[in-house]
Amino acid sequence: MGSREPTRHLGPGQWLLVGAVVLYLGAILALPLVAIFAHALEAGVGPLLQTFDDPLARHGLWLSLVLALIALLANGAVGVGGALVLPRHRFLGRRLLDALVDLPLAVSPVMTGLAFLLVFGRGGWLEPALAAGDWKVTFAFPGLVLATLFVTFPFTLREVGYVLEELGTEEEEAAATLGASSWQTFWRVTLPNIRYGLGYGVILTTARALGEFGAVLVLGGAISGRTQTATTFIYNALEERQEPAAYGVALVLALASILLLAALEWLKRQRRKEI
Amino acid sequence: MRLTPHPTIYLLAALGLALAATLAACDGGAPAPRTSTAPGKSRTLVLGAYTTPREAYGKAIIPAFQRHWKEKTGEEVRFQESYLGSGAQARAIIGGFEADIAALSLEADVDQIAQAGLITNDWKAGAHQGMVSRSVVVLAVRPGNPKEVRDWDDLRRPGLAILTPNVRTSGGAMWNLCAMYGAALRGQTSAPKGDPAAAEKLLAEVLRNVGVMDKGARESILSFEKGVGDVAITYENEVLVGRQAGRPYEYVIPRSTILIENPIAVVDHYADKHGVRDLADAFVAFVRTPETQRVFADHGLRSIDEGVAKETAGRFAPVEDLFTIRNLGGWPEVRKTLFAPGAVYDRISAGLGARR
Amino acid sequence: MSGVRAAVAPGPGGILVRAGVFAYVGLLVALPLAALLATGLAPGLIALWQAVSAPAAADALVLTLTTANVMALINAVTGTATAWVLVRYDFRGRDLLSGLVDLPFAIPTLVTGVMLVLLFGPQSVIGGWLARQGTQVAYATPSILLALLFITVPFVVRAVEPVLMEQDPAEEEAARTLGAGTFTILRRILLPALAPAIISGTIRSYARALGEFGSIVVVSGNIPYKTLTAPIYVFGEIESGRAEVAAAVSAVLLAVALALTLAARVIERLAGVTRG
Repeated sequence: MGSREPTRHLGPGQWLLVGAVVLYLGAILALPLVAIFAHALEAGVGPLLQTFDDPLARHGLWLSLVLALIALLANGAVGVGGALVLPRHRFLGRRLLDALVDLPLAVSPVMTGLAFLLVFGRGGWLEPALAAGDWKVTFAFPGLVLATLFVTFPFTLREVGYVLEELGTEEEEAAATLGASSWQTFWRVTLPNIRYGLGYGVILTTARALGEFGAVLVLGGAISGRTQTATTFIYNALEERQEPAAYGVALVLALASILLLAALEWLKRQRRKEI
Repeated sequence: MRLTPHPTIYLLAALGLALAATLAACDGGAPAPRTSTAPGKSRTLVLGAYTTPREAYGKAIIPAFQRHWKEKTGEEVRFQESYLGSGAQARAIIGGFEADIAALSLEADVDQIAQAGLITNDWKAGAHQGMVSRSVVVLAVRPGNPKEVRDWDDLRRPGLAILTPNVRTSGGAMWNLCAMYGAALRGQTSAPKGDPAAAEKLLAEVLRNVGVMDKGARESILSFEKGVGDVAITYENEVLVGRQAGRPYEYVIPRSTILIENPIAVVDHYADKHGVRDLADAFVAFVRTPETQRVFADHGLRSIDEGVAKETAGRFAPVEDLFTIRNLGGWPEVRKTLFAPGAVYDRISAGLGARR
Repeated sequence: MSGVRAAVAPGPGGILVRAGVFAYVGLLVALPLAALLATGLAPGLIALWQAVSAPAAADALVLTLTTANVMALINAVTGTATAWVLVRYDFRGRDLLSGLVDLPFAIPTLVTGVMLVLLFGPQSVIGGWLARQGTQVAYATPSILLALLFITVPFVVRAVEPVLMEQDPAEEEAARTLGAGTFTILRRILLPALAPAIISGTIRSYARALGEFGSIVVVSGNIPYKTLTAPIYVFGEIESGRAEVAAAVSAVLLAVALALTLAARVIERLAGVTRG
């Protein structure tokens, strides 16, 4: 199976196509980005720095970061562990699990928040248990954690899973035949193989966690100083006519996204080089 | 021959999970803002309010109370605040948001919380019947009033784009409709006096012109500031706060409009649970003192305190025909007539929707 | 077809991990969604129909589907064209373009909404100009479409790219030697080969668009019967304390999104499409 080299010298028709695509993506994607940066430049660096003076803004960003870290660790661990034992083996309930893993990507964030409310909120399925232990989930930090874990769940599991599924178990089998122990097999064969998948998963998880809005709004209530993440801070700041604060934090999130994007593209490039 | 990884991997994964869980259990860890660094206990008061008095509470009254309490008792108080549409906030509190104090837009919303068993104290006792501030329903217009809107009837003009919030979530939306309906019933509009059908017709004609329906009074006026619409029906104090923030718009007070009275109450179920009942009671008392009432006036709210009201009368335009919710039969009656399923608003909504 | 080799029984550690993952997924994913479906369906199908056919709800659902339809059509075309350009051509800035395609996966939807307001709001240059021409973008239906187009850019592109890359040039070259023009080649060889990927990518973007909230709630104005989409309607019902109605409409939306995702997977599996 051959594949062609990309055409280097483009004819006029081809340039037209490139131009059309660039125009479309420029208008849809780049223009809004330019808008927020232009607005920030117009306002100057001062207001941006002032954003960090605001304790609520700092708290919101900090809260989002902590949530992203938790999601990264928990869903990273479950993702890698799950990818190792699930995609490559047939077992009872595998189809069901596959479907469940994909679910969070299909659910609207607002519905995610509602679903958790119905379990953990007043009149919810687990309310008696929660009341017994006096645990607060809704309108409190644990609720935010649950919402973030839900929406970021599939990424690492899928990315690592794809890699492992494509690779199959040949290399590991070969290593075992050659006398390698399970540990050596994992460390020397499996882990290097999955590092790109893991990298993608981690980046996507972080980006999604930082960007979560609807579910944390519904489940957490955006209570200042308690459940107000960076995104809900922006939302509330817009209500208070604190546009500088809102746009400041939005800019921070946009910058973080671009950093994550750059990391993603760098990883992809590294991977391409190896193929 | 095992092809699964060494158990150490699972151990590492489990550690990762455990770390995550610990972080989660530490409740995020970071102290909330307005925090004390004082040794010993420092308690937190949680406030659930409607959208409009964000600045009044957030920037002025809460810091003032913190100072006051520190001087009086040496204790530093932390605050957590939530500002939502009045109806939405009432439901949030009923649904599990453990607010110690509810400062909402209308009495009926606080009544709902009481009905849910969360307020058992007699919050309406006292000189002010549980109220803390006042305002009136006005019409915000563009500088120079280019559309020449003077009163309710002008809102019926075809092609005029009007803003009012969503009745389901916003207390302000309910006040707006009550003001219009009441003015019509009182014969202060083109509708004949005492004619509910004509009043309903007036409402329908105005609502036909409504563009954006935001979740709260604050969101509504913000949309207006963003250039949406020609007129916004809103609280007088929203307009005044907006102008303080440098926004250029004017407002018109209709000849007949309703007096908005905002309640505040201690949600004793949660205040007792959190052990802050004394704090909550103190805060509610604090906001009714003349000093704090002056702060409310600084933020565009008419005072419940007679003395302060007289002092600040110059800042607020008089209203020719000012009526209250009691003139319309009180909130329970109004809810039944106007806002219940199948009632006036529902009928108008469905009628408008079907035509689009 | 990629995938599962002959089943190999895992050791005891593996079974423990598998059980652990099941438990995690069960508690985190299955339980809340079960509660949502149960609450939505418990009052019965008639109540479900009533909730969904209420004028505002029905209108919101129709708006959501309509905007998603337009978005899907546009994406099918532009996504394929983008994938074509990224795979078949080499030009300066290609990598930058490819990176740009991934932007929607990195950026918060709320920030997307804020950017669109900055770009098209009445106070903006473009927005003001458009307003004078009589078109409104922000707080009107076009803004919903723009937001959807933004967030769904990667879906079709990333679905079509790997298929294009695997495409054997031999067939095309043979057809060309036999005298076939570009369009014939497109129609007879490439399109059939790419169709499954285009379709599954479009379906996934559709499922994603159905649930979009953060960007639309900021930029659309949320006007009932005009720019109020289904997820925002659900949000309103939650805030109004009508969790059952919200759950009912959610159940319907969820069912549609699930069906679509399932369809996409089936198409991918049947066509042997690999994920890039």
